[in-house]
Amino acid sequence: MDNDLQLARTASEAALATNGVYSLGTGRYVEAATYGAGEKVTGVVVGPDEVRVHIVVRYPLPEPIPVIAERVRERVASRSEGRATTVVVEDLEVEQDENL
Amino acid sequence: MRIFNRIVIILLLAGLAYLGLVMVVYVFELGPYHLQDLPNDLGVSGFYEGLGSYVGNIEKGNVGVLDIVVLGAIALLGLVLLILELKPPTPRRVRMQRGTYITRSAVENEISPVVEQEYEVLQSNVKVKAQRRPGAKVDVRASVRPGENTRSVQSEVQNRVQQYLAEAGIPIGNLKVQAVESDPRETKTRVK
Repeated sequence: MDNDLQLARTASEAALATNGVYSLGTGRYVEAATYGAGEKVTGVVVGPDEVRVHIVVRYPLPEPIPVIAERVRERVASRSEGRATTVVVEDLEVEQDENL
Repeated sequence: MRIFNRIVIILLLAGLAYLGLVMVVYVFELGPYHLQDLPNDLGVSGFYEGLGSYVGNIEKGNVGVLDIVVLGAIALLGLVLLILELKPPTPRRVRMQRGTYITRSAVENEISPVVEQEYEVLQSNVKVKAQRRPGAKVDVRASVRPGENTRSVQSEVQNRVQQYLAEAGIPIGNLKVQAVESDPRETKTRVK
């Protein structure tokens, strides 16, 4: 269980560090999260065979969406201890211009 | 369809379990119960006799046209339900590449404003369906004022959406655009 949580944290950090990722998604009908003792990591679902990462992409897009998603998948897959990695783009978020 | 099939199967199994229990009680004549009284006790003696004579007629080859139609329809219904049950479910998310998906709502939310950028379009209704292969099936319904050139709007919207999706990299399997004349009093935007 702790291992899953650690893996979720690592996947979350890897996804957020990818260019074009605004934030992690929370799921639509069911919360997308990994749960541990008194803690949860939202946006990453670690299962026995799969790691699923929900992302919200930043707009304007630095690259096409599939490229961003694939980059996240590659980054997370290298840390997912051999589990299949899936990336779900949940939404696009328009970046706020701080000078406005 | 799977939910409907499961409800049917659950009800069928519940009925069979009940009848099986009753049958055990009557076969072993536990208490005052006897097998020959079973149709009467279940209140289906009329149905039982009718069914007996019906099956007897079928065995003798006396089958009416209506019977053939009804039996054929039941067999066909069973076959359709079986095929629907065996058919793999439609995926919930739009597949982009191996292991990468985008939600249908995200695609809808992206297409809708693009359609409404078209000057003549007062309201848009976008439906996205995921497919087993990469790409989404998109149905766009654009509402325009009566008297507008729907063909031209349709083609403009089609080009605009295709261009946007290509730029964003969202794969599309099938794009269908329909421009329909609507009363501006019933659309989201009355005047542009």
